[in-house]
This record gives sequence, structure tokens and C-alpha cells, in this order.
Amino acid sequence: MGVSVADRSLADTAKDVATSIYSLILVLILWEVVGQLGLIYYNFLPPLSDILVLFWELTLSGQMINETILTIKRAMAGLAIGIVLGVPIGLLTARNRLFNWFWNPVIAIGYPVPIIALIPVFMLWFGIGDISKIILVAVATFWPVTLNTRDATRTVDENLVWSARMMGTSDRKLLWRVILPAAAPGILTGIQIALPIAFIATFIFEMIAGGGGLGHLQILGARQFKSTQVYAAIIAIMIVGLVFDRGLRYFRNWLLSWE
Amino acid sequence: MAGATSEVSDVLSGELPAPVEFVVRWFPLVIVALLWELASGWVVAESILPAPSAVFLTLVEMFASGELIAALGISLYRVGIGISLSIAVGVLLGIGIARSESVENFFDIFLALLYPVPKTALVPLAILWLGRGTGTAILIIFLACLLPVVLNSYNAARGVDQNLIWSAQMMGTSDRRILWKVIIPDTIPNIVTGIRQAIPIAFIALTGAELIGASDGVGAIILSAGQLGLYPRMFAAIVAISAAAFFVLRGFDEFERRVFVWV
Repeated sequence: MGVSVADRSLADTAKDVATSIYSLILVLILWEVVGQLGLIYYNFLPPLSDILVLFWELTLSGQMINETILTIKRAMAGLAIGIVLGVPIGLLTARNRLFNWFWNPVIAIGYPVPIIALIPVFMLWFGIGDISKIILVAVATFWPVTLNTRDATRTVDENLVWSARMMGTSDRKLLWRVILPAAAPGILTGIQIALPIAFIATFIFEMIAGGGGLGHLQILGARQFKSTQVYAAIIAIMIVGLVFDRGLRYFRNWLLSWE
Repeated sequence: MAGATSEVSDVLSGELPAPVEFVVRWFPLVIVALLWELASGWVVAESILPAPSAVFLTLVEMFASGELIAALGISLYRVGIGISLSIAVGVLLGIGIARSESVENFFDIFLALLYPVPKTALVPLAILWLGRGTGTAILIIFLACLLPVVLNSYNAARGVDQNLIWSAQMMGTSDRRILWKVIIPDTIPNIVTGIRQAIPIAFIALTGAELIGASDGVGAIILSAGQLGLYPRMFAAIVAISAAAFFVLRGFDEFERRVFVWV
């Protein structure tokens, strides 16, 4: 690790890549061989090539892209609402006595509830459409965002606040220039925790209630014993998860580059 | 807890006797329950939002009939086995990746691929392999809890003081004994942290697995009650699983506080 990038030859890099992915390649080859030879029941584990062919077909026909966009829209709309509600309530809970008194016990009880257990309730209240899914995601992501915002705001150095006050900073400026930047790392941690929850809530709702999306695509595959479709949907889920996880990390580093 | 105490006395200014303080601290929940009770039947139809009192009565009934205890037993059994498996595999994997380059080279890529996948979304795949029921639930809980346990034991094993290992080696301790007597004891606090992170995840995974991939357990009761329109029953089951998650987490904190005084 001490060697600088420039010193490393191409051969070294290739060797590093090879040592870190050889096991994956081995397993993928084994998967294909076992599948092709029919050593394993097709519905459990179809050959990798069959899955990739279906994935490619679904992508070309546009179906995979449509389902993916549907899922992303629901998860992101819900997460956005969760953040818009959670950050201010978390901030106020940390800085305002009345909010603190009211919200602390509510958070203590609400945070551990496995929110996806409310899916049948949401189907009853809001139906099985997009609105219902988005509200569920909002409720599920609200708790981690609120809790982490509250805790991050509580640990903001009071000296910062006092010095800013002393220099005559207005309350509004205090919030935007002092408290929010100081609490930003913790708030972003809350959003990072909320991101997979947003997707889980969306997938599970789609599996139970249908209405398209990657969760629905995957459960249909399982119900109709089209195992290639199950795996193809999981590949898409993996890509979506990877892109959003990495994206949020880059966003975090970019936003906190002053740290 | 000292922090929480001062928060409440902040609102009312002045010290309060413990029972009064307790009531004041948790009173907001009473307000929420009262608003809910009033809303049910007035603002929203009772069939849409059963009153907390009705839900509570149903909850007591389901407990008394033994039905809820049986369902909770099934659900908690799944959580217990799933978490135990993830601890057994996760600790060894985490320590192995931290201490051995060949283990790291082999498993790292799989963990990197598994990491961004929401494991609860793999329920249909688990159904394909194991059918609906306990196997599927345990597999999903195991997968969901594996990474927090691996990551925490990995970080801990990385952080083991190399001097400890060298001293043990110098005294002629075998590699296997170093693992059991030096590395694992030193990593226990972090492993405990990993398990604590895994508990809420386990309940989310359990709920997802039981809603979609099981016909028994509390999650299955929630879904079937919802489909049959037995809403107080549905809410009672949700309260039961949430309470279970809450008390398991609290119980674990208490256990950690009492057992790990030395850390």
C-alpha cells in the first residue's frame, strides 16, 4: 500500500485484480458447468448463461428498465419525504425542550418497529398503488433519519453555538451556517442507513401487492417457477443497490470535503 | 440515563422524584394513544383504524388463547437460529479475512457483491430453494445479519494489538490457541456491537420473510388477518412483533451491561 500509483507497473495491477476476483470467476465457471451438466435441479440454479440471456432480453425489450425505474421512483420519493420530515424533527428534538419531551419516547417506541409489518395496514388505508408504497417508504425511512439527526445535533459543540451567538449571528443563520454543517456527517449516516430500508420496503411491498417493479418481477418468477427471472431480477437489484450505495458515498465525500 | 433525566427536568425545571419523572418522560405516548382512541370512530372509521383499546383487548385474547405465544415462539425461534448462524459464520469469516490474506482474497469479492443487495429482497429466491416456511426465514435472517457481524469482527481482529500476538508466539503458543485465547477474547466487544446492530435487521428480515414466505409465525398472522379484514387482529399482531423486537433489543442491552463489565 505504501507504493505510489505511478511506481506500479501494469503487471502488478493485473496481478492484484486477478488475486481479488479469481474466486468469483471460479465460482461463476463452476455455476455454469454444474448448470449445463444438469447436476443441479434447473429451478434451483439455472446455468448463468441462461440468466444473462434473459436479463439481456428483458433489458432490450425495455421491461427491465421500466421495472427498475418504477422501483427507484417509489423508493426515492419515499426517502425524500422521510428526509424532509425527519431532518427538521430531529433538529428540533435536539434543540427544543418541548419537541425533546414529546419526540424522545415516540422515537424510542417507533424506531424498533419493523415498519414493513405495516404493509397490510397501508394496503387497507391507502390501497396498493404508488401513493401507498411511497408513504410506507417515507414512514420507514423517517425513523433512522430522525434518530441520527437528533443524535448528531445533540453532539454539536455548544462552544460553536455560543461563539456564533456572541458574534451576533441570527437564529436562522445559526441553523444553516453552524448547526447543520456540524451535524451533517451524522445526518448523512442516517440517510445511508435509510437508503437500503427504502429499497427493502419498496421490494417487499411490490412482492405482496404487485403493481410492477423489481420486487414484483422477482416474486412472479418464483410463483411461476421461472427461476431465470428470479435471478435476472436479483442482478438488477444488485446493480441498483451498488449504484445508489456508491452514489451516496461519493455525495457524502463531496459534501463533507471541508472536513 | 443521566442525560435523559436532565432532559425531563429541563422541561419542568427542578429535580423530580423518580416515579413522577418516569410518568412525565413517557407521557407523550399516552397523548398519542388518546389521540388515536379519539380519532378511531370520529375522524376515521373504526374498521379502518381500530381503537387502541380494541387492539389491546384482541391482543389479550390472542395471548390467552395461546395462539400468539405459539406464533411468537415460531418467529423468535427463526430469529434465534438465524442470528446464531450468522454469528458462528460471521465471526470466523471476519477474523479469517482480517488475519489471512488467502481467505481475504477468496471471500472479499463475494462480500463486496452481497453488501449492496438488500437481503430481505431475496425472499423469492429463498422460496425457490427451500420452499415457504422456517428454512426460508432462517436463510434470509442469516444473510441479513451476516455482514454486520463480519464487518465488526473484521475491524476488531484488525485492531488486535500485534504485541499480544507476538508475546504469545514467543511463549510458544500454537496458532490455534492464539486464535481462541488471544484474538477472539480481544474481539468480543466489537462482536457484541455487531450482534446488537444485527438484532433490528433480523426483525426486519423476519417480517419480510414471514409476510411473503411463510404460513405461520407472527408475520403470517399480520398478512392473513389483513386479507380477511380482521383489523384489530392485524394491529394486535403488529404490536406483538414490535414489542418482541423492542424487548429483545432492550434485553440484549441489559445482558451486555451486566456481562461485559470488564470491557
